[in-house]
Amino acid sequence: MKSRANEKNKQRSLWVEAWRRLRKNKLAMAGLGFVLLLVVLAIFTIAVDLITHNAFYTEHVVKQNLRLRLQGPSKEHIFGLDEFGRDIFLRVIWAIRYSLFMGTVAIGISVVIGSLLGAIAGFYGKVVDNVIMRIMDIFLAIPSMLLALAIVAAFGTSLTNLLLAIAISYVPTFARTVRASVLTVKDQEYIEAAKALGASDARIIGKYIIPNCLAPLIVQASLGVAGAILSIAGLSFLGLGIQPPTPEWGSMLSNARSYIRDGWHITVIPGLMIMLTILSLNVLGDGLRDALDPRLKN
Amino acid sequence: MAKEELLRVENLKKYFSTHSGMLHAVDDVSFSLAKGETLGVVGESGCGKSTLGRTIIRLHEPTGGKIFFRGEDITDADKKRMKELRRDMQIIFQDPFASLNPRMTVSQTIEESLLIQGLFSRRDKEGLRKRVHELMDLVGLSERLVNSYPHELDGGRRQRIGIARVLALNPEFIVCDEPVSALDVSIQAQILNLMQDLQDSFGFSYLFITHDLSVVKHLSNEIMVMYLGKMVEKCSTADLFRNPRHPYTKALLSAIPVPDPDFHADRILLEGEISSPIDPPAGCRFAARCRYATDRCRQGDIPLREVEPGHFVACVLD
Amino acid sequence: MNGKELLKIEDLEIRYETDDGIVYALNGVSLHVNEGETLGLVGETGAGKTTLAKGILRLIQTPPGKIVNGKVYFEGKNVLAMSDHDLHQVRGNAISMVFQDPMTSLNPVMTVGEQIEEVIAVHNNSLSKEEIRERAIAMLKRVGISADRIDEYPHQFSGGMKQRVIIAIALACNPKLLLADEPTTALDVTIQAQVLDMINKLKTEMNTAMILISHDLGVVAQTCDRVAIIYAGRIVETGNLRDIYKNPKHPYTVGLLDSIPSLTRDTKRLKPIKGLMPDPTNLPSGCPFAPRCNYASSACSEAVPELTDRGNGHLVRCIKDISGKEGQ
Repeated sequence: MKSRANEKNKQRSLWVEAWRRLRKNKLAMAGLGFVLLLVVLAIFTIAVDLITHNAFYTEHVVKQNLRLRLQGPSKEHIFGLDEFGRDIFLRVIWAIRYSLFMGTVAIGISVVIGSLLGAIAGFYGKVVDNVIMRIMDIFLAIPSMLLALAIVAAFGTSLTNLLLAIAISYVPTFARTVRASVLTVKDQEYIEAAKALGASDARIIGKYIIPNCLAPLIVQASLGVAGAILSIAGLSFLGLGIQPPTPEWGSMLSNARSYIRDGWHITVIPGLMIMLTILSLNVLGDGLRDALDPRLKN
Repeated sequence: MAKEELLRVENLKKYFSTHSGMLHAVDDVSFSLAKGETLGVVGESGCGKSTLGRTIIRLHEPTGGKIFFRGEDITDADKKRMKELRRDMQIIFQDPFASLNPRMTVSQTIEESLLIQGLFSRRDKEGLRKRVHELMDLVGLSERLVNSYPHELDGGRRQRIGIARVLALNPEFIVCDEPVSALDVSIQAQILNLMQDLQDSFGFSYLFITHDLSVVKHLSNEIMVMYLGKMVEKCSTADLFRNPRHPYTKALLSAIPVPDPDFHADRILLEGEISSPIDPPAGCRFAARCRYATDRCRQGDIPLREVEPGHFVACVLD
Repeated sequence: MNGKELLKIEDLEIRYETDDGIVYALNGVSLHVNEGETLGLVGETGAGKTTLAKGILRLIQTPPGKIVNGKVYFEGKNVLAMSDHDLHQVRGNAISMVFQDPMTSLNPVMTVGEQIEEVIAVHNNSLSKEEIRERAIAMLKRVGISADRIDEYPHQFSGGMKQRVIIAIALACNPKLLLADEPTTALDVTIQAQVLDMINKLKTEMNTAMILISHDLGVVAQTCDRVAIIYAGRIVETGNLRDIYKNPKHPYTVGLLDSIPSLTRDTKRLKPIKGLMPDPTNLPSGCPFAPRCNYASSACSEAVPELTDRGNGHLVRCIKDISGKEGQ
């Protein structure tokens, strides 16, 4: 009787099982926790802006108060104040949306474009494959930061250009990942079985190939978001990203560096935020890789 | 012998072009299969038996020759016609681990057959559910496994899903590509019995591909032995075991280890290994390993001759 | 020929601790192998055959694996309690192992000659380079490969040839015991016949004892002196070859022999064993075969039966005497 009950509980999809394995990985769960915390905070700040019609934002995040500049952490301002007397805690929180959401959107764009290209290249092969992948190789030959720099420099510094620049530089990575997994999945017997049943190409791609290619893509994407956040911060640091007074971790770091002798906190806090976010996303990505790879089961 | 012919294959060829030349996977194979009968196709890895099965149901495009199914020439049938024909000609795969989509449950896998072929509408939930349960019952899968995923099941149960998926279409002809060679002996016997029962009740015709002669012995009406893309011998099952004529068939039979300590066959140990199927030389392809081979064997085509009624051998020495 | 006891396993218990619970892989296995003798270990997937072979050489990966209990005496010394240094002297030298898959057992970036020479060099550090090479060539010849192939890489060999190379490596140090884990399963029948023939010749020549692990009762019948049948991590029946095949006394052995399609007899229908192997994380109480057994009664599920001697060293783990009776 007992074994029967066990059997019932055991019916779970590979996704559910991956989640069960991920949950056992404490480091990855901590990473996930931190990322979720950032998401909640970012949504909270957006809500505040919407409700107060940016009043809170102008009053507390952007407005300068030179009298109190470079004040260290205190009870009222736990992370202290920056070179213009603005609360660093609030600025750091208000900046999450640019890093996290823009990173995610940029990677989202490149995942869609990249996997489409990769899937087409892998599924149809031959000439199509060659043309697509050689173009990707050319992109890969240019350092991604340089490519992004060139795009932003050429088309001007705007949010959209920044997004596009980062998205484009990540397309080849995803195209390669997806192509590789399509090539593996394509030769599996279950694809042949579907063909023998008379399934159409579209059905085979949609129901058989894509679901079985998702795992490596998810891992790559979570690591990609980390990279994109770093790129955004880097470009902003160079003055090509988000422009002041809008808070952004990279530009905060860049502006603060002249005052590094006058107050440690104004460089350390944004730097720490960048580091923690990247670290969280990376351990989460590694955890996902272990969880999604069935070979590591048991 | 006035049995109704279901499938006829004439001079079927399938070559693959590779970097080092033409790979002759199936070379000039002809046979016919009657309704409700089983033809065993036996050979070692690389003899082209799997390619033969896949080419007949047009998973591979034939390089030459003709395939007739119920009298209709399907060699060049278009996509639309093939989709209709797939309802009547199906395949069961060797590897129950690789032949099921790991992201689909048992019921989804079986439903897939019914939906692709339009036997049920997606909206007919109740009808689908009933049919899936009926099929699971037929192949001996217990109902509680309906939402299980393949990775949760053992090889024997997975193979039953593979059979249920094919059974869903109620086909007339099934290619069985080593359906039990990945299974343990005790499970193997369960699946073989199941396949036999299904044939008895639904009248399927099987093309049973295997490397293991003992597996097809009691299932097949006729057995065909292949070596490097060529058919070397074909006859009734009883004949093959009683009176094998081709030197390769003899060696193959004697190489099977018999589970009886008192059984000491005069083992014919073959020299060397199977040669390359890429641009094979003229003459008998087995000549390189054959102890009786003479110069005659290496010249020209070796025709398949009917040495006794219904017993075909491709050997000049017979 | 069958002289002294070479290997004696006592009550070996091995478990794997996994996400899905504890896998009870071996639950108290006792066996012995005499010098120059071949023991066939027969069982199905998951019965614990490979775990047993790895356990003998302490090759169980920990974690998840764990040797919970038991002793493995090789020439009177307990392998499980040996120092690492002593263990290395035993591994590859006195006991060597052949794995199932010839495709992955060889190092693809070393020539086959180098791989044979390596084992010889590790265990004979007094030999010169030339002597080592001579020995490697001699070994290759013994397994039926011509000496001029010594500098080729594994990918230049076919599956059967690779398995010969692996056997050459295993026998290079003239071991007293060879553990062969399904050595011919990945090979075609005609090639299998060649390799088995060669193994048979070599082990007689070199007086090597062997444990042949196989699921194929045919292979075992043609190669072994004694047989042990393993089911769910326990030996259920063991005895000499003839006793097991001609007079099987455990229902599982009977079932296994019955479920093989026979080449010599005419059968219309096979007789499979009903049901499935028990889940090794959740073994039934009592006799693990009871749920599939045609003779089982309520007494069978009370306690695991002991191995009892039915004469002539024929041990059976069953509380019933089923000889001469028909099942079902």
